[in-house]
Amino acid sequence: MNLTDFGRFSDPALLILASLANGPKHGYSMMIDIEIMTGVRLGPGTLYGALARLENSGLIKSMPAKDRRRPYRLTVTGAAALREQLSLLQKLASTGLKRLAAP
Amino acid sequence: MNLRGWLIQLYPRAWRERYGDEFEILLQECLHSPLDIFDIMLGALDAHLEFPYDLNWRVMNMINKLRTSILVVFAAYIGFIVGGMSLYGLADDSPMADLMKTQTNIPLLASWITIEVGAIIALLAVVIGGLPIAWIAIRYALTSSRSDLRYLLIPVFAFLALIFYAGFVASIGLGKIQIPGVLPVVSHDNFPIGNRLLIGGGMLIFILGAIASTIAVWKIVANANAEENSLHIFNRAEPIKTYNHAFRFSLVTSAAMLLMLIATIAWGWFSYSAMPEVFSENWGLLLTNTASSFVVIVTVMVLSTAAAFWGIVRGYSVRNVAL
Repeated sequence: MNLTDFGRFSDPALLILASLANGPKHGYSMMIDIEIMTGVRLGPGTLYGALARLENSGLIKSMPAKDRRRPYRLTVTGAAALREQLSLLQKLASTGLKRLAAP
Repeated sequence: MNLRGWLIQLYPRAWRERYGDEFEILLQECLHSPLDIFDIMLGALDAHLEFPYDLNWRVMNMINKLRTSILVVFAAYIGFIVGGMSLYGLADDSPMADLMKTQTNIPLLASWITIEVGAIIALLAVVIGGLPIAWIAIRYALTSSRSDLRYLLIPVFAFLALIFYAGFVASIGLGKIQIPGVLPVVSHDNFPIGNRLLIGGGMLIFILGAIASTIAVWKIVANANAEENSLHIFNRAEPIKTYNHAFRFSLVTSAAMLLMLIATIAWGWFSYSAMPEVFSENWGLLLTNTASSFVVIVTVMVLSTAAAFWGIVRGYSVRNVAL
């Protein structure tokens, strides 16, 4: 699954996957976690636009709601997609840093 | 409607049915700036353009459509019950009741028995078809949505209000409570306005209770998670698809309502043929004109049956949706 299929929601989708990597969270928890993790604050419309696409693609799955808050968790496919995206980013970061360091 | 409610209304209905509840909670906590409002407006526009995204969403939409169709049939059935109870009150407190007891007018008796058989079939269909869906919806309300719990209390309060009122009327009938202008025992020739108001109050409580309870059931079922469509019972290998199951019994309920409607019209015709004078007199629980009361009752039944069949037609194309 390629997150670039999500168009303008591809970056928020990656942030959501990364946020769910350490356990299930509901919308507001994800928003706070992403802000702490990256300094990026996702708007509510963007969050749910990306979240709905991720759920639809089977990368995350909703869990039973508690007090009307519905947590989401990463699926096996979602974890694989996150790993793939992070590896690409790591490769990019590593290459970019090497080139910057080169005289 | 507050700002949050207005913003959620911007999203398409199918989206709201899936995410509306949790999105409202999110907005309670994070709606801080005009930028958030702008972001939500963009999100709503995106949902209008892109949602449903693929087959899974279409299946969810179909289930929602099927569920709404079932609820329409249920609400129509409750409307029919109100009409049916009024018919029972009209027939029981008129010379037609005595005529039926003599069992000499076979067509009149047969049409009345048909109404009773139809009522039993419709009730059984509602109970058998609705129990799995009610179980899932109540379980969801109890475990997931505290705001829905208050709706569960409405049918209970409506029933208690009716019981309390019946006890109050019975106390008057037994002479334990005395109210000026209200007689403990009435007859057709001595039915004061106080007693009519007393009975009218009971009918009003019944009708308002039925409406409030129907709205409450609608809210509880409509708020339940449509994805929870399967229920395992009696150790069956295959789970019951609750909405598909309920829709099949909705067909039975609607057919029984049509049967009762035809039988009611036939009963009215046979009654009129046997005792035309009764239809120009005042009979029934409130001593109102019999012909007018009968027309109102049949109108309620016609509208209820039409609503039920509208629900059936609406849900028929998605009756076999699987999830």
